[in-house]
Amino acid sequence: MSPPVLDTSTANEPLTDVDRLVDRRIVLCYYGAALTYMVISMLGGLLMALQLVRWNELQGIELLSPGRWRMVHTNAIAYGFLANAFLGTLHWTIPRLTMRPVLSKAFSYLIFAAWQVVVLATAGGILLGHAQAVEWGETPVWIDPVAQLGLLLVAINFMTPIMAARGPMYVTLWYFMAAFVWTFLTYAMGNFVPQYVVCGTNAGAIAGLFIHDLVGLFVTPLGWGLMYYFVPILLKKPIWSHGLSLVGFWGLAFFYPLQGIHHFLYTPIPMFLQYGAVISTIAVEFVVATVIVNFFGTLKGSGREVVTNLPIRWFYTGMILYGITCFQCALQVTLTFQELIHFTDWVVGHAHLVMFGVFSQWLMGIMTYLIPRLVGKPWYSRKLCEWHYWLSVVGIVVMFLDLTMAGLFQGWSWSSMRIWDHSTQVSEPFWIVRIFAGLSMFGGILVFIYNIYKTLAGPVEVIAAKAQPAV
Amino acid sequence: MLRIVDNDPGDTAPEPRTRRLWTVCCVVFFLGPAMYGFGTKFYELVRVFQGDSTGAFAVTPIVNYLLAGCGFLMLFAWAARNGMFRDIERAKFEMLENEHKLDEIKNFAPSHTYAASSRR
Repeated sequence: MSPPVLDTSTANEPLTDVDRLVDRRIVLCYYGAALTYMVISMLGGLLMALQLVRWNELQGIELLSPGRWRMVHTNAIAYGFLANAFLGTLHWTIPRLTMRPVLSKAFSYLIFAAWQVVVLATAGGILLGHAQAVEWGETPVWIDPVAQLGLLLVAINFMTPIMAARGPMYVTLWYFMAAFVWTFLTYAMGNFVPQYVVCGTNAGAIAGLFIHDLVGLFVTPLGWGLMYYFVPILLKKPIWSHGLSLVGFWGLAFFYPLQGIHHFLYTPIPMFLQYGAVISTIAVEFVVATVIVNFFGTLKGSGREVVTNLPIRWFYTGMILYGITCFQCALQVTLTFQELIHFTDWVVGHAHLVMFGVFSQWLMGIMTYLIPRLVGKPWYSRKLCEWHYWLSVVGIVVMFLDLTMAGLFQGWSWSSMRIWDHSTQVSEPFWIVRIFAGLSMFGGILVFIYNIYKTLAGPVEVIAAKAQPAV
Repeated sequence: MLRIVDNDPGDTAPEPRTRRLWTVCCVVFFLGPAMYGFGTKFYELVRVFQGDSTGAFAVTPIVNYLLAGCGFLMLFAWAARNGMFRDIERAKFEMLENEHKLDEIKNFAPSHTYAASSRR
């Protein structure tokens, strides 16, 4: 089936079909779902943070026990917030990049409904004790085939316009194409192989590979792909070097899949494989450097935009935090460092920095830019947009520093062979700070949702002909 | 100002001999040791797998990597063959030009992002 093409070959021929190109309603549906799951996830995180300081108001209720809430927290972010926000944004980005609509509108709504079923079933399954024993793959085994089918449908729906596009592809489309294939394969590897094919430590190795690949092969390519699209259009100038961006893409493609074994340092896995994973991780740091250099090269001469243009500020804050998180990676994959930080809160801080500090912030920036365009109304309040940014950024930076330090203290406590209780006593002040940092981030999200609500309730703006979107 | 770089193959000047020599030297210098390293490690993997029943530990992630790597190598070859890396900077100008056209056709956006009428 060949999708209709929006022909832009002749400048004199007016295009009147833009609404058919991008279905704004589905983007909004995805954003609504994403923000709902973000609230649920943050509630779960808050409950876990309170539990750590021994303040659990839900004590005795098995369904709402902290272990289950923790899984709801991580899954709601991965499959609820990130997946929904990415899918919504892809419905905007891919048609505009390829000048072709997605395969089918009905298909898009079917995928939307199916994905919400998958996420709700995952939450319900976890609370009822049906979680699969794979970290970040706790989706119950009975919903895995539906999720796998959903990922296949997503790939078909979006790949159709990409494959039909002619000429050298823009780097964003390379990233997206890879993400559709990788996510499908990664999900299958993590959820089916340890469950049905291999067992024991081998299954553990696959599960660890899955966690890492989910970040690097699902979230990272979609996140960077979107940055390569939104940053140039907001700065109104092309990316500094398209060639360099392709170096980054192919570097990720060839180096990333071997990294997962760095989660298994000091395990019975042969040492040459552990060393291989360490080296490939450090190789990826060079790839990351090319990407960051490219974006800061693009910003050159437009630095003021970081102050005045809120989405750009979100994006570049995320990029700085991405640089920090990757620098951390280069350190923490070494055997020396692992000895100290393994199983400590350092890792939790690192995970929050990646998921919230980088990818969630990019998506927040994208939503800040797109929501007025989707609803045809300006933001109700710029101040609330600023509050959203500052509460989120201050919250995540404090949480990251706090948990990083907590991790070091825990590591030193364990390595000095003190009793376990000593490490928890040392951690307590950090865990208290963590609650307030989390509350700040949660406050930012609530402010954002309130601002969206007031924006939707506001009057429709009369749009001047040929008005250019300004941020 | 946006511009589209002309992709006429007739404009391409023949590659200078020194550049070609330089490329070959780089390939030999970087790829040679890398291929040697990879080959020896792969041989080590096969030895581990043959000599020890628990060597299966190592095989699954490596096979995963090799499958993914082969897939991307084929995609890379396909892309190179289909001119995806020729006139490599063109795509970034086209992308911006398409965006510009779409914004001109129909205003997806309010003329400004924040309500001008209020100081909220």
